[in-house]
Amino acid sequence: MAAPGLAIRVNYPTLQYLTAQKFNYGGRKLFFVKASAGSTEAEEANIIVRKEKYGWQPDFSGGMRPTPILDTINYPVHMKNLSVKELEKLAAELRAEIVHTVSKTGGHLSSSLGVVELTVALHQVFSAPEDKIIWDVGHQAYGHKILTGRRSKMHTIRKTSGLAGFPKREESVYDAFGAGHSSTSISAGLGMAVARDLLGKDNSVVSVIGDGAMTAGQAYEALNNAGFLDTNLIVVLNDNRQVSLPTATLDGPATPVGALSRALSKLQASPKFRQLREAAKGITKQIGPQAHEVAAKFDEYARGMISSSGSTFFEELGLYYIGPVDGHNIDDLVTIFQKVKTMPAPGPVLIHIITEKGKGYPPAEAAADRMHGVVKFDPKTGKQMKAKTPTLMYTQYFAESLIKEAEADNRIVAIHAAMGGGTGLNYFQKRFPERCFDVGIAEQHAVTFAAGLATEGLKPFCAIYSSFLQRGYDQVVHDVDLQKLPVRFAMDRAGLVGADGPTHCGAFDVAYMACLPNMIVMAPSDEAELMHMVATAAAIDDRPSCFRFPRGNGVGAVLPPDYKGTPLEIGKGRILREGNRVAILGFGSVVQQCLGAAEMLKSHNILPTIADARFCKPLDADLIRRLAKEHEILITVEEGSIGGFGSHISHFLTLHGILDGPLKLRSMVLPDRYIDQGAPQDQIEEAGLSSRHICATVLSLLGTPKEVVNFV
Amino acid sequence: MCCNSAVIIPRPDPCFSFLPTRPDIIPFPASVSFRIRTVFHHGPSKSIPNDTVQFSGSDPATLYDLLGIPKTGTLLEIKQAYKQLARKYHPDVSPLDRVEEYTKMFIRVQEAYETLSDPRRRALYDRDMAKGIHLAFSARRFFEFDEQMEDKSEWKSRWQSQLSHLKKRSMYKDSGDNMSWGAKMRRQRNESS
Repeated sequence: MAAPGLAIRVNYPTLQYLTAQKFNYGGRKLFFVKASAGSTEAEEANIIVRKEKYGWQPDFSGGMRPTPILDTINYPVHMKNLSVKELEKLAAELRAEIVHTVSKTGGHLSSSLGVVELTVALHQVFSAPEDKIIWDVGHQAYGHKILTGRRSKMHTIRKTSGLAGFPKREESVYDAFGAGHSSTSISAGLGMAVARDLLGKDNSVVSVIGDGAMTAGQAYEALNNAGFLDTNLIVVLNDNRQVSLPTATLDGPATPVGALSRALSKLQASPKFRQLREAAKGITKQIGPQAHEVAAKFDEYARGMISSSGSTFFEELGLYYIGPVDGHNIDDLVTIFQKVKTMPAPGPVLIHIITEKGKGYPPAEAAADRMHGVVKFDPKTGKQMKAKTPTLMYTQYFAESLIKEAEADNRIVAIHAAMGGGTGLNYFQKRFPERCFDVGIAEQHAVTFAAGLATEGLKPFCAIYSSFLQRGYDQVVHDVDLQKLPVRFAMDRAGLVGADGPTHCGAFDVAYMACLPNMIVMAPSDEAELMHMVATAAAIDDRPSCFRFPRGNGVGAVLPPDYKGTPLEIGKGRILREGNRVAILGFGSVVQQCLGAAEMLKSHNILPTIADARFCKPLDADLIRRLAKEHEILITVEEGSIGGFGSHISHFLTLHGILDGPLKLRSMVLPDRYIDQGAPQDQIEEAGLSSRHICATVLSLLGTPKEVVNFV
Repeated sequence: MCCNSAVIIPRPDPCFSFLPTRPDIIPFPASVSFRIRTVFHHGPSKSIPNDTVQFSGSDPATLYDLLGIPKTGTLLEIKQAYKQLARKYHPDVSPLDRVEEYTKMFIRVQEAYETLSDPRRRALYDRDMAKGIHLAFSARRFFEFDEQMEDKSEWKSRWQSQLSHLKKRSMYKDSGDNMSWGAKMRRQRNESS
């Protein structure tokens, strides 16, 4: 897992001349250059950074080159004495470090590149961890992690037992708030600011939020409250005009969604503002010094009248708007942060910075999706090394079958919340551009919007990740289920999701969907079943329905002809393997683990019956009764939390008196703790739901504990 | 001049040059994406920067050709040509079977007029033409790039004045009659320290 050639780093500040010899990737002899204040232009030719027109640009054409300034920074406090020029060089080195790290591990690339200057400026001016810096979503915090003592562990990011891909409070005291879902930073920052005031402290609180996250309602709820409370808080609005993810459709960059983005872009071009302010200043000078209240009022009025409409919006909410600011100019950023930090009573301030996603790395700047999320790639060219897989991702099968359904029925529409690529609806959009709706990061609105569409007879498919749908849960209950509107929920990324970790893990959707009275809950065990369930959902027109499928590739099932599924009979599961004594009833893709367990048990002369429940609601009563009657042991397996499929089965069995009898029932669910990020197989093992765990459960129930040892 | 309110796409990718100039033409975002998609369905590969929507007859090479005036045309000539063409291609007066084409032509004529009637934009366009870049209908692309450079210097003076105003305001912000929660807490803290 460690990157080859990565030398052991010493974690105390070293003398500068000691560090240059360490990083000789590829064995190239590079001239050592001291990045001290006295370096001349001639020396500059050899170092990794070149002073270009717009600042220091790192050079990616060779291997990783020495990073003299970055090597001296282990914690932000080491940055305090750097000059602006040195900060710019540090930014270039940090860029190179991010690119080379992510090229080996995969992860989120361009978001971090766009905020390198912001990260450097924030840590230079503010004193983390006393000053709180909160990163919204957090996938842009790689630079922050490097500067706050985790540089040596960056090669483990997003891996099992490694660094998390998002800020995590347990990982470091510099991560002020855990993130993963968007638009929470201002709320959290406001909480920290109010707590600071109540405790009588005087640290600064900075929340960094992007323009994409600003499309979510929670950001405005927080701004509204911040304006009302009038406490000292700095909100940095990082505007790179990339509102949806990944930041491209199939044909190229996605245009920003919604009226807010238009308003934000208007903010950037308003030359009249300055002229009128100058005029206003002249007038107030004439009125005289004693009339400063009049002047202040006039100024406020003038600002509102002449500043572009977007900034008035923030001002009306009660935040003082500063901007737009060039987000790649460290000098400007440091000046502004310094001034705002030292003001006695600024109140809530919003600093609007303009950045470019992927800045400083030409392949990212040129790519349509800006290389937002990448696998391993070659730093020189930016070419990703995507492994060829025999099957496609579940997401793609979903998109294909939805397109097929929509071709047959023109009332089918699709809705997603700024995740066109992640949900596969970019394909749908390409095929049916006027039937695909991207509402921005607004799951609550997406659900009620779908409900509104359903009242008029359309067939909306809401494709929202399982963990993101949590945000719209009240709308699911109140607007969809209570009124029995036929909205279909396609919950991608259900179950454990691998490198993204617990923030993106879809552990709870079976529990929170199956407890709703009118909801039909399905889960496919393979990609062919997924296609049939899409067709089934399209056919269910009198009540809401949902189906959950995991991240990952298909298993190679035989697909229906032309990708068109056939509707399943509702509330009917199927038996995959006939056996005796032991029945294993799986729900969802974990059925594949059950089949694996059956193979393992063969060698012990045990033939379990493997059944695929398909439906959690309504349960297949006949199947369950049959399994309970014909077997001694019934094991239910699901990749979800307690309160889901297993609970429904046990409730059913108790209600029908079956548990009064000799049946032994066990429910295998995700453990009662959050599973950290890692490789999918590692996570399943950690959760105790792999084939061998199922095997061990069977054997322990059959009374052969000694053999269990082989499997555990 | 409504250039300032254009939907600005930061990437210099030519195939996204064909976007409606004014946001108020667009009723709501869904139809924006619809328009982009139709261009791609009809247009050829990404390498061609010009507007790829086909019109009957050949594509005019430059904005001047579109308006039918020589390169040295005066503002008056440009205005006259524009008025004439606008009257011809306005959707309300176009023949029913060619409304789509004529509307597209009308939009292009309007863009041409906006570019050529503004002396600064015309100068930029002429310069690009001389360089051999015929970006007839991607006026926003080069305009926006240049504007970025100008804007940045304006940005700096703007935020500097914002900062000084904030500083002034923060001096008297916590005076007795400000009853916000934050002001109360700040006064408490200042009194106790």
